[in-house]
Amino acid sequence: MKILDADKLPDLAAVLAAAGYRVVAPVRDGAQVRMAEWKPGLAIDAGPIPANSVKEFLFPRCEVIARYSLDGDSFAPQPAPVDAPKTAVLAVRPCDAAAMVALDKVFNWEYRDDAWNARREATTLVALVCAAADDECFCTSVGGAPDARLGADAVLRCADGASKFILEALGEKGQALLAAAAGVLADGDARPDPPASVPVRFDSKAVTDWCGENFESPLWRDLGLACLGCGSCAYACPVCHCFDIQDEGTRSEAVRLRNWDTCGLALFTQHSGGHNPRPDQAARWRQRVMHKFRYFVERFGGLACTGCGRCARLCPARLAISQVCREIDEARKAAAK
Amino acid sequence: MSTSEAIRADAARLLAEGRAKLVIGYRARGPHRAPAFVSDPAGVDVLIYDNLCKQNLAVYLRKPEVRSRGPVAVVAPPAVMRSLVVLAAESQLTEATVLAVGPDAYHGVLDLAGAAALLKEKYADLAPSPELLEALAKLDAMSPQERARFWTDQFAKCTRCYACRAACPLCYCARCIVEKNVPQWISTAAAQHGNFAWQIIRAFHQAGRCTLCGACEAACPQGIPLMLLNLALSEEVAKQFGEKPGYDPAAKPVIGSWKPDDDQGFVR
Repeated sequence: MKILDADKLPDLAAVLAAAGYRVVAPVRDGAQVRMAEWKPGLAIDAGPIPANSVKEFLFPRCEVIARYSLDGDSFAPQPAPVDAPKTAVLAVRPCDAAAMVALDKVFNWEYRDDAWNARREATTLVALVCAAADDECFCTSVGGAPDARLGADAVLRCADGASKFILEALGEKGQALLAAAAGVLADGDARPDPPASVPVRFDSKAVTDWCGENFESPLWRDLGLACLGCGSCAYACPVCHCFDIQDEGTRSEAVRLRNWDTCGLALFTQHSGGHNPRPDQAARWRQRVMHKFRYFVERFGGLACTGCGRCARLCPARLAISQVCREIDEARKAAAK
Repeated sequence: MSTSEAIRADAARLLAEGRAKLVIGYRARGPHRAPAFVSDPAGVDVLIYDNLCKQNLAVYLRKPEVRSRGPVAVVAPPAVMRSLVVLAAESQLTEATVLAVGPDAYHGVLDLAGAAALLKEKYADLAPSPELLEALAKLDAMSPQERARFWTDQFAKCTRCYACRAACPLCYCARCIVEKNVPQWISTAAAQHGNFAWQIIRAFHQAGRCTLCGACEAACPQGIPLMLLNLALSEEVAKQFGEKPGYDPAAKPVIGSWKPDDDQGFVR
């Protein structure tokens, strides 16, 4: 069994950085703990659930996907190589690791996305079994668990009353990482601490079924009133993956950008002719729930939500998709009686 | 009667008499506080008020979904009342019905003039928190290079989700400059160039208008300390023009007016 003292996460980061990994880890930044590129001297805080998901290290907020030069009528494509550094993500939450598996399906659906696949291949996800959860966590309602291993290449587990970590490899990438970290790992025994207890808040199958029958429901109107129409929830979500394509540049050279975008913003579906097929926030909230709990299931056989709870923690109006799902579940049960 | 009970009683009366078709207030969601939208006098029991109620509900008065419901009444601590006064000063609303609350008192149902009078009488000396003043003093003491480094690091976090804009009652442009593309003034990429342009233009557009309610910073999912920018500009406006927005519905907004004796020392 490979053991690491609980205060030695920075040592693990340092040895991996020395081995050529870009290391991403939860670090404190003001009032938040954020997943960020680790630099020597930075403390690692694996306690709170990070404010941001791991998504941005595999699917950046903005990315140059093409370059070209222009000279009068002549157009010349320029190289736009994919940036895919060898990366180790330490203490990624099981909900985030599972989300990357959902994104694999999207980015290899009708089109194989080279940039996503290159970064995914270059990234080793070291999951952390959650020792604590808060009142917004709901992984167990959407098929996950605080000690789930889906998507993880290695697992860190608190042991001996949070005084140690047990580090276990789950595949080739994980084994390579453990080999690179051999210098800071000890062989020994430790008793794993119990994972966090996360109550099941709703039946996701019931939500999927309800969504199939309730495109028109007063629920959407009520949600639309409180929603401010920002992109906070989607950009914090590890599974939301919509993007916009924009060209920017000068008369002589330009780039094509892929920027995060979200169905929560009015402009997302705004047509240049003036029509907007999702004219109000009610229609946009409906799309958010429908996509995560119905359309994604129909297309890929799984949910587009892994229960991390970030959307609710960060919502300026404290809206929570888990509460919406619970209300749907309860209404469905009441109707069945 | 507690403040929450008094709010419920007044909300039920406003709805029953038809003076409001919708009351916007606060409700509990677990340990958190969320906005409540009540249209039925029988539904007022969800309304509560305590010191956890921080969201600036004035923001909802610019939503078409809310406006279309007819007359609206809002549970309004001083920060919300000040936002409404600025909106009136900028011709964005002509009247308002508020259920006015203070930190230690409930002031009952007031119209816009009543809210403005109450603000001047009881809440004229609202000051930024000592922590915020201290953080700004620390920033002011930095060299320009250090300050540039500070904001470079902070703005690098911006994802351009525009939650700051969405949460602000005073960001009401039908189409924000950041989304104009003929010509495109501001890069759409959530990267240094565009992020600086966006953050600076957001702050500048608030100069002399911002009431320091803190909604933008509270909404920022990336933890960017936007109040440092807002307070710096607010102090500058107070120093240059002696104006404190959100107390006089008839005041001319500093950003949209001028006086012959304005200091022109900056023209060189």
